[in-house]
Amino acid sequence: MRNGMVIDLEKCIGCQTCAVVCKIHNSLPPGTWWNRVFTQGSVEHQAAVGDNGNFKMEFLPISCQMCDNPACEKVCPTGATHTGGGGELLIDYEKCIGCRYCFAACPYGVRQFNWSDPKTAKIETMGYVSGYPLDCREGKAAHLVYTQNRHKGVAEKCSFCAQYTSEGELPACVRACPGKARFYGDLDDPTSEVSKLIATRQVYRLKEEFGTEPKVYYLSSGS
Amino acid sequence: MMHSYQRLSRSGRALVGLGLGLCAIGLFSWIMQLTNGLEVTHMQNAFSWGLYIAAFAFFVGVAAGGMIISSSIYVFNVEKLKPFSRIASLSAFGCILAAGVMVLLDLGSIQNIFFLFLTPNLMSPLLWDVCVVTAYLIITFLSVYMQMLPEWQKDGFFLAAWTKKRPAEEVQAFSKKWSRRVALVGLPFAVLIHTVTALIFATQVSHHWWNTAVLPPDFVAMAVASGSALVLIICMFTVGKRGFAEHADAFNIMAKVVAGALVVHFFFTLIELLLNAWNGSTQGQELVHILFNEYAALYLAELIFPAIAMIMFFMRRFSYNRPALLIGSILVIVGAFAHRMMLLYPAFNEPALSLNVAGASIKPWVVPLSTGRPDLAGAFFSTSFAYVPSLLEWGVTMLPFGIALTVIAGTITFFKLISEK
Ligand code: SF4
Ligand code: SF4
Repeated sequence: MRNGMVIDLEKCIGCQTCAVVCKIHNSLPPGTWWNRVFTQGSVEHQAAVGDNGNFKMEFLPISCQMCDNPACEKVCPTGATHTGGGGELLIDYEKCIGCRYCFAACPYGVRQFNWSDPKTAKIETMGYVSGYPLDCREGKAAHLVYTQNRHKGVAEKCSFCAQYTSEGELPACVRACPGKARFYGDLDDPTSEVSKLIATRQVYRLKEEFGTEPKVYYLSSGS
Repeated sequence: MMHSYQRLSRSGRALVGLGLGLCAIGLFSWIMQLTNGLEVTHMQNAFSWGLYIAAFAFFVGVAAGGMIISSSIYVFNVEKLKPFSRIASLSAFGCILAAGVMVLLDLGSIQNIFFLFLTPNLMSPLLWDVCVVTAYLIITFLSVYMQMLPEWQKDGFFLAAWTKKRPAEEVQAFSKKWSRRVALVGLPFAVLIHTVTALIFATQVSHHWWNTAVLPPDFVAMAVASGSALVLIICMFTVGKRGFAEHADAFNIMAKVVAGALVVHFFFTLIELLLNAWNGSTQGQELVHILFNEYAALYLAELIFPAIAMIMFFMRRFSYNRPALLIGSILVIVGAFAHRMMLLYPAFNEPALSLNVAGASIKPWVVPLSTGRPDLAGAFFSTSFAYVPSLLEWGVTMLPFGIALTVIAGTITFFKLISEK
């Protein structure tokens, strides 16, 4: 199984629902975003770009690209960053030494560091700690790949919502997208929705020249 | 010689005191960092390595240089330098110890460190570096130990306790044989530690500034220059003003080694700059822009300070002059530190993710990254960040500096480091 994601940029309306829902579901501390959405080519979000009366506004959501040849996993000295059974890149919070080599390695800038204690930071800014269904607040595997409260000094990033996908559910962003622009499924299964979209539409991946082989595909807008 | 030793014990003790003071500042700062997390630094997600990693690379460089000098003395039989081989080894040992400590202080979760050994990832250049730095620590220690053995036997130092009942000649011979053997192993390792440290950076395809085959050889060139400059300073300090004339030829050789290594370094730097400027790509232009605008002061310090020293050291007028050698060596070391800081700035200010967007007026489009530090960056997302180390970061960095100073100054103050010819 090799789970991947397809994002249809034709349908993305740049509303940032996925980014917010991710933040709540995964209990992200202030300043940390596993998923971000920006307007392509623009410094300001939701500002059109172009010239000579030829304006356009297209968006680009970016989270971990779940690379098949992941730069982050290769450099991680302790094996804290590893590939799970479904091809998802996970971080074992109990093995991460916080060396931040993976930050230097990842070409997509999706890695997030816990510069301070995340729980204290959340309580200070919001007054409460959100996220994770009751039964999986502390993670189920022997080593934590998801938990409501990470330690300070470890790396974190999108896990394709390991707490949901391991139960056969879809990632929070896929479920929440009002434009239904996100698809999740097995890239190895030719009958899956993602495989069909990739086979029939014009797709691209980010920064293919780095050889990272991302499992996140974008359907071009205007194709 | 007697005079210089009396002089040394006073100023030497003062240096040890200074070293211990720096250790105390460093330790206190580190405890603050452990309690509050790395938020006490001025790093953020997009600028994730700072002063600590620069200082680490700096120490590795100086350490490599020390052993290269010490081993070369044995391997190439440089008579004039022989009295200083112990100091060169000691300098290497003190600095590699500092490097090892420095990289530990950079970790966010040091409590998980044992996973390095339990579940090592053999693909990670950082793991290779941990291995070679550890091996180097042992080799440099053995190098100091083997060479000091006859002295320590005389002094009845506890590390040489096993030699107590043995005849001095036997220990002499043993020391000589093994010093030579360790020197033979030490030379390739000295080159290796700096090559592997450079590989940590050079393997990263997403950073144009690092991802070049020139980086490892340039690291080695800079290591020889800065490492020899430090050895030169320590040697001149040890023999004192009075002993200078006696060893002037030796110091001249060291100065020439520094200058020669700098020639090689500048050759690499020039090629690097030329390729980036000529290439004309946005990345190349951006890089040249960063080097000569935002960080021009630091970059010029990196270029000009060692350049002045290089010219001085090639001139007889300066290379036999104590103050000139001292100033030149300090310039090289400051330049080497700037060189290590400049390893980071262009790399992290080069846009991490930029995409070409058809029809957009900005080309290429730099995708903002989350800072993780809205308190610092003033925003949740940003495209570039001017990193300036925090005061506490400097404080933490004082620990390895303190350790190196205490070990080196302590050893030359309490033992006889200059061996007879
Ligand atoms: S996008 Fe970055 S963090 Fe995610 S798998 Fe690729 S290299 Fe790793
Ligand atoms: S910060 Fe953690 S996950 Fe990243 S490379 Fe270091 S140990 Fe691995």
